[in-house]
Amino acid sequence: MGMKFRCERDILQNALVSAGRAVSTRGGALPVLSGVHLVLVGDLLTVTGSDIDLTITVRTTVAGAEDGVAVVPAKLVTDIVRSLRPGAVDITMEGDELSMVSPPSEFAIRTIPADEFPELTAPEGDAVTLQGAAFRGALQQVVKSASSDDARPILTGVLMAAEDDGLRLVSTDSYRLSVCDLAGTSILSDGQKVLVPSKSLLELSRLIGDSEELTLRLGQQEASFEVGNVSVTTRLIEGDFPNYRGLIPTNHPNRLTIDRGALLDAVKRVRLMAQESTPIRLSMSSDGLELVAVTQDVGQAHESMPAAYQGEDLTVAFNPEYLIDGIEVAPGDEITLETVDELKPALLRSVEDEDFLYLLMPVRVS
Amino acid sequence: MTVSEALTEGAPPDGSLGFLHVDMDAFFASVELRRRPELRGRPVVVGGTGDRGVVAAASYTARSYGIHSAMPSSRARRLCPDVVFIEGDHALYGEVSQNVMSIMRGFTPLLEPLSLDEAFLDVRGALHGVIRPEEIAARIRRRILDDESLTCSVGVASNKFLAKLATERAKPRATPTGPEFGSGVFVVAVGGELEFLRPMAVRELWGVGPATGARLSRMGIETVGDLAAQPESRLIASLGRSLGHHLHRLAHAIDERPVVVDRGMKSIGHEETFARDITDPGDLRRQLVRMSDAVAARLRSRGQMGRTVSIKVRFADFTTISRSSTVPEPIDGTGEITDEASAMLGLLDTTPGVRLLGVNVSQLSSSRIRQLSLEDVHGSSRDPTDPVVDEIRGRFGGDSIGRAAALSKSGRPANKKIGDAPWGPAAEPEPGTAVEEVD
Repeated sequence: MGMKFRCERDILQNALVSAGRAVSTRGGALPVLSGVHLVLVGDLLTVTGSDIDLTITVRTTVAGAEDGVAVVPAKLVTDIVRSLRPGAVDITMEGDELSMVSPPSEFAIRTIPADEFPELTAPEGDAVTLQGAAFRGALQQVVKSASSDDARPILTGVLMAAEDDGLRLVSTDSYRLSVCDLAGTSILSDGQKVLVPSKSLLELSRLIGDSEELTLRLGQQEASFEVGNVSVTTRLIEGDFPNYRGLIPTNHPNRLTIDRGALLDAVKRVRLMAQESTPIRLSMSSDGLELVAVTQDVGQAHESMPAAYQGEDLTVAFNPEYLIDGIEVAPGDEITLETVDELKPALLRSVEDEDFLYLLMPVRVS
Repeated sequence: MTVSEALTEGAPPDGSLGFLHVDMDAFFASVELRRRPELRGRPVVVGGTGDRGVVAAASYTARSYGIHSAMPSSRARRLCPDVVFIEGDHALYGEVSQNVMSIMRGFTPLLEPLSLDEAFLDVRGALHGVIRPEEIAARIRRRILDDESLTCSVGVASNKFLAKLATERAKPRATPTGPEFGSGVFVVAVGGELEFLRPMAVRELWGVGPATGARLSRMGIETVGDLAAQPESRLIASLGRSLGHHLHRLAHAIDERPVVVDRGMKSIGHEETFARDITDPGDLRRQLVRMSDAVAARLRSRGQMGRTVSIKVRFADFTTISRSSTVPEPIDGTGEITDEASAMLGLLDTTPGVRLLGVNVSQLSSSRIRQLSLEDVHGSSRDPTDPVVDEIRGRFGGDSIGRAAALSKSGRPANKKIGDAPWGPAAEPEPGTAVEEVD
């Protein structure tokens, strides 16, 4: 179990940072999971980080001298490599220590017994190819609406469902709901649906970066994505996603059409006076849109802006963060906000892209 | 969403009688005398006996010697060498205070504690049309005397400021020949406010300290009547805008402050030590229903909801177990809180006998500003009976209605004295404690 190789600092750093994204910062039940797993076979170095639910593996080519395996503390080794001078690093496993030498620096760190690192199996289903930019865009539109509350495991996932001739992504934390359709992308068989942890998809969307394509394999209990030399394997969530279709009102009598960028800027300004979980109020009339936020004992903000509005005069209050999340991810320059009344869900859509939908529950003020 | 500060308050004064100021008589000293009756009639002081000790509270007998609170203990001893010093037991005072506040909450949820032994109450809505405010004051005194063996004085008026001044008139007095009992309740009748205030020294007014008092005295103003005769502009010119305005209003008996129920609570709960250990699961369940109801009612009266329900069980051998469960959406319903608490209690083996039971709700947020959930789209899950129960309790008192599940087969819950109204947040067998954690 010697393990000995030489590698450019930048390459090693990238591999450690990517794999490290899956390493739990919470320090779970298995101490070995606070480490990254290094495997050298010939010139191929495989770096793996995992919190069991999510596993990220990076394969990279190095100048291998002796095959071997090691698990080293993820944060520490990443910080060390990042701090080294640019250039080559010599890595050698000696006993239970890993030495890293990049003259004039020399580090030796105690390793974690490697045999405790869990054996992870990737799904063996057929590989499906996805367009990088389109899939990444879709993920960004839905991941924020998923819940981060572990008490509601089903809502921490993003539903991926076969829909007509494409793939539909849906997420909700019960306060808002995002739907994004990827037309022409069929990765699932008819009627099939899987529930993927949103945390995994968030990491995946970061790793996709500018990559043109990625492949997906679906198993019974996990899904695996491959982007370039990185593979992301995630546990699937078991359970039934709520029936979201019944939640989307079919008839919205009121419709506001407005410039997306201008609204985003205005909401971000007015939000400064929506403190202590007070909402931001949107007053819509044929004169346009008025935004108001009032925090007792702090102050208030007011902004009016031009907008096309059809319907009855209406004031609806929203959590400003949730509103911003929806405006930010909506594609295109112009959006519509469709409302029923001040207590029913409002529907935020893009004028030019029908594949996006953001449903938002108002805040009730009594 | 962050936990927001919840604030519940009553309506501003409207000229009608219904503001009560309740002040316990020599509270700390009286609590001590209660457990050491042999000291009754002797001058008793609660406070430190060290070189720098001060008097925290003095019995009325001690006050007859000129001893009063905040006086250095050494001076108290010089005034009365026979004075009995007792080191304070503030945990006990806190516990008794909670019991007293709970009794008062049985009459109205609009209770604003000022300190351990003092509170404002708005009873305009309580027992409305059935019992006059002065009668409510008498009943409060009666309940506190019956349940806690402590006396208090109550001022009744049409606003907070007058009520507090009225209490002074109801208080026992320490005279050189010994304490004299007061009337216990003093009412400033509607229409009689100015007459009540006029002869009073200005120094008795809220906001008039020694410096302002001296300045007013130089202006020839000694009584509230003198003050009321001044144009507001003259008071503002000599005292400044805000103080001048404030005193002008007080002199004319104007105080528009509503009764403000506590703000910023981190949790609301209730726990009780039973007179006898409870072994029967049915009895325990009934206690749990009653306590969950009390906690839920208090949450609603404060305009708050909570996500975490906890129970605390202390067994006969003092082993204590706590269990908590967190629900996805904030709740304030009696049924919801009872269900959560019962489910946790059901998992515990209570056959050894339960000495103490507690129910607590935390992770509070305001129910006035509520982020709606998609689950609300198909109708609210909130129990429609809760607001009705709250309304009935608001009008007829906390004891007026309650859950049938809190009743025993005989129709009365255990641990109740015969003749006591059987239900509600105020129905607490001694020594119950309401537990409220403040930020």
